[in-house]
Amino acid sequence: MVDIAPLTLAATDLAAIAEPIGRYGVCLSPAPPCNRYSLRAKDRALLETLAGTALPQRIGDTHNGYACLGPDEWYALLPEGITLPQTEGQPVSIVDVSARAVGLLVEGDGAADLIATGCPLDIARMAPGRATRTHYESVEIQLWCLEETRFHLEVWRSFAPWLGQALLANLPD
Amino acid sequence: MSGYRLATGGRIDRTRPLTFTFDGRLYRGLAGDSLASALVASGVTLFGRSFKYHRPRGLLATGVEEPNALVEIDRGPGRVTPNLKAPSLALYEGMVAQSQNRFPSLAFDLGAINNRLGVFFPAGFYNKTFMWPRSAWEKLYEPVIRRLAGLGHSPTTRDPDTYASTYAHCETLVIGGGPAGIESALAAAATGERVILIDEQEELGGGALGEPTRWAWLADATARLGAHPNVRVLPRTTAYGAYHQNFVAAAERLTDHLRPDRASGHREKLWRIRTRDLVLAQGAIERPLVFDGNDIPGVMLSSAARTLALHYGVAIGRAVAVMAVHDSGWHDALAIAAAGVRVRAIVDLRTAIDPALIEAARAAGIECLPGHAVTGVSGRSAVNAIRVAPGGTGPARHLPCDALLMAGGWTPTLHLWSHAKGAMRWDDASGTYLPIPGTDPVRCVGACAGEWDFGSGMSVAALPSLKPAHRQKAFVDFQNDVKASDIALAVQEGFRSIEHIKRYTTTGMATDQGKTSNMNGVRLAAQALGRPIADMGLTTFRPPYTPQTFGALVGVHKDALFQPLRKTAIDAWAEAEGAVFENVAQWRRARYFPHASEDMHAAVDRECRSVRQSVGLFDASTLGKIEVVGPDAAEFLDRMYTNPWKSLVPGRCRYGLLLREDGFILDDGVAARLAPDRFHVTTTTGGAARVLAMMEDYLQTEWSDLDCWLTSTTEQWAVIAVQGPRARDVIALLVEGIDLVPEAFPHMAVRDGRICGVPTRLFRVSFTGELGFEINVPADHGRAVWEAVHAAGQPHGIVPYGTEAMHVLRAEKGYIIVGQDTDGTVTPDDAGMAWAIGRKKPDFVGKRSLARPDLARDRRRQLVGLLTADPATVLEEGAQIVADPGQSIPMKMIGHVTSAYHSAALGRSIALALLEDGRARVGQSVHVPMPHGNVTALVSSPVFHDPSGARLDG
Repeated sequence: MVDIAPLTLAATDLAAIAEPIGRYGVCLSPAPPCNRYSLRAKDRALLETLAGTALPQRIGDTHNGYACLGPDEWYALLPEGITLPQTEGQPVSIVDVSARAVGLLVEGDGAADLIATGCPLDIARMAPGRATRTHYESVEIQLWCLEETRFHLEVWRSFAPWLGQALLANLPD
Repeated sequence: MSGYRLATGGRIDRTRPLTFTFDGRLYRGLAGDSLASALVASGVTLFGRSFKYHRPRGLLATGVEEPNALVEIDRGPGRVTPNLKAPSLALYEGMVAQSQNRFPSLAFDLGAINNRLGVFFPAGFYNKTFMWPRSAWEKLYEPVIRRLAGLGHSPTTRDPDTYASTYAHCETLVIGGGPAGIESALAAAATGERVILIDEQEELGGGALGEPTRWAWLADATARLGAHPNVRVLPRTTAYGAYHQNFVAAAERLTDHLRPDRASGHREKLWRIRTRDLVLAQGAIERPLVFDGNDIPGVMLSSAARTLALHYGVAIGRAVAVMAVHDSGWHDALAIAAAGVRVRAIVDLRTAIDPALIEAARAAGIECLPGHAVTGVSGRSAVNAIRVAPGGTGPARHLPCDALLMAGGWTPTLHLWSHAKGAMRWDDASGTYLPIPGTDPVRCVGACAGEWDFGSGMSVAALPSLKPAHRQKAFVDFQNDVKASDIALAVQEGFRSIEHIKRYTTTGMATDQGKTSNMNGVRLAAQALGRPIADMGLTTFRPPYTPQTFGALVGVHKDALFQPLRKTAIDAWAEAEGAVFENVAQWRRARYFPHASEDMHAAVDRECRSVRQSVGLFDASTLGKIEVVGPDAAEFLDRMYTNPWKSLVPGRCRYGLLLREDGFILDDGVAARLAPDRFHVTTTTGGAARVLAMMEDYLQTEWSDLDCWLTSTTEQWAVIAVQGPRARDVIALLVEGIDLVPEAFPHMAVRDGRICGVPTRLFRVSFTGELGFEINVPADHGRAVWEAVHAAGQPHGIVPYGTEAMHVLRAEKGYIIVGQDTDGTVTPDDAGMAWAIGRKKPDFVGKRSLARPDLARDRRRQLVGLLTADPATVLEEGAQIVADPGQSIPMKMIGHVTSAYHSAALGRSIALALLEDGRARVGQSVHVPMPHGNVTALVSSPVFHDPSGARLDG
């Protein structure tokens, strides 16, 4: 007879990281709230006019809280209070996604190694100031390299508990 | 075989004795021993029973190629691992090992009857014999065969261990820590680039561990590797697969070599490595020789005896004979003789042998028998003598011995090379396939590339013998119990391709992957077919190189982290209210909210009544949402959905139906036009990712000229459905800036405004047939707004309802759920939704397919309602429908039930069904035969409640 005991900790019990937590030279903490926008356009100049700022040109570059994620795609991580206009009749798309994702800061000497436990990118070669859409195991994330030892992970809110706990589980015991 | 510990030599620590048990008996070993070396040193000869014939088997090898000595290691509750190779297990104090595939004991095994009956168990036996009667397969043959043939036991409890995994990147990955691998790693390290060296053994060294003269070099080289900060060495790690673009998977064993009470942390770690250059230094595996009795315990690879003597300080026997066709057997014999093992004789089929070898052997007191072959082995659980004959066919001579070493030549370990799609060529000189250096940044070095210093040898399929092949117990594949005669039989039965012969005989299959058997199998097949071996080719090796644990493969995806469980912003409220949940895709959703002792039926009835009579509250946050923005947004939706969108005015909503290219329903949902160039599209919960991916695919590949972009907003919005005649009264207290009167805010409209002080997109939509609103607020505010609505609804007796009530309410109205009432074969017309097709549109996804004769024909299955004759009977979803229950079996099935519930509003059961020519059958009776009797039902319209839709306006 197969006897599978109930889990002491079930998937329903997982919670997102709410307080800084860490060991082995890594600290995970929730990022401060911010305004988030997805910006799309074939013509970058038009978006720059509407957003009132220069946008990074090379895919993976960031500038002033804007990351270039694709040939026609930018993502904005702006301090709370800074908003972008909702456009009409222009060949652009600006969508407020502030509540879609939450941010997780991963800091410390072991930060890159910890992210590499589930992210297939060569993170050691990721320069500060670069950002990209990628994944951690099966969960899509955006990875922003703020400094060599400091990363911001963007994750859709319902995946945040799994992501945080999976990162913790991959730390050495 | 009567092994014993040599007085000197080996890399074991003679000052650190260890105790362990094998099959319950206590043994002693030394630190640095493998389980196999410690058992051989203790005189054990019998390690296991073979897979098919249950023949007694001893140790064949000292590496991962070992096919016989498979054991089960017990490290405590939930930590029993079967099918581990005894030579690969580092001994620790207190190790508990069990042999496998024997009942009741290793020495006396009932299954060994198969051995005597072996003549009845030829290749393809299972396929041939157990076909009839068919019914006996499940109940008799399969369970019996499973019990007899199984290797080890499956676990029956939860695995208490945890597993880590990581990605890693390097410029050079070296697999194999023998001399060639170490040299390659050192050369790459000198460039300053990142180097990873993987080795599966306890310590680096590979073949050098069995050559004491190289130990000083090894210590120095290992130290030099350690001095490079850019080199990572992973011992106890098996690179088990090489995949596209130099992606290698490797499992590192972190704790299994430690005493269970001293082991802590993750048990294994999966390394997923991307490398620019891949260097395969996996070495070579010695080939056994094929002759009668070559599997009797004590017959083993010559290289294994060498490893035992020089690496572990263990003598394989007190009177050892060698059967060689390769110089390496002579070198091994001389080396173990020098280490203190008594070698009686070297038998070699070759007549031309390097005179220096013969001279050295004679000087060491070893009898040399060139031009001879072993033709038989005596002994059951241990060798006691061999028969030797000139040329294998001359007059035989009896030669007592307690171990027989086989030196059949060497096969490069090209498993990962094969995974990486490396090409190979037959090489006559070495009698094996060798890698053809390619242009890819993958290369083989050392013995893996055929560059070895073992000397030369001859190539032989089976040793010559006067005994007919079918009378010989001459094994090719020890793990799968395949004999030389089985391969001959496969050829006789018409198999020609080595891939077919492999599958028919099982040579080289399964976990062993033919490590010791492949080349002998190919040789025998070539001989039987009378074809040159170079024309035979080699079967494909497949990952994993050696068996791996599921734990290592799943890594962190275990137990609570098995997969992400998604919760809405309102989930915690529902949990606190005692909701019962169900999983929908990765989401968990509140299914119903039972009061006190209510069961689901009672709770759902109450929730449904509240919605129909007053007002209910439902968390619809999991619905997929896509914001479609840009001047061409309406054009894009026109092309995607069946419905027309350009005519939809801003501020209004429309139900949209999405087809696949084959014309069948894929998804549905309501979309709102917020502005001329902005739509808020909703999808089903489970279809959200699929629909977005499909839309992106079309937009990027077919219609890149359109100025329109898609943004997933599923998680941006919490969605609170307020449904029921009192819905407007409830939200009116909370909404600002939106005129809620029906004239200003009709059904299927959307307005921007504020609720509870936060911005909202307020939809007037209904999936219940009642007056209804869906409040979209940024997810951060979802919980607060939900609670405010719940509080505001108290005077009206508002109740939260779950997905089950939602299902009943929509079924009462005949609203379909894609994936429940459709199954990928349902067209819009089948579902009664031909009205959703924009007839004037030039095209939309699936339009052409709708004109296919089969999709346009009469008498297709159509969505109808069913009312059972007994109103208390709730049909079973999925049950088949027939016209005449009296017909003989198999009956003609004319449809099936897709949804069935008890309806509180109607006070009876209702069901939706897909029924052949269903709309024409309305008013007729059909039958649903069930195990407990036939259920008769009346075919009806699928709209059971408020067919006029009057209640949508409250």
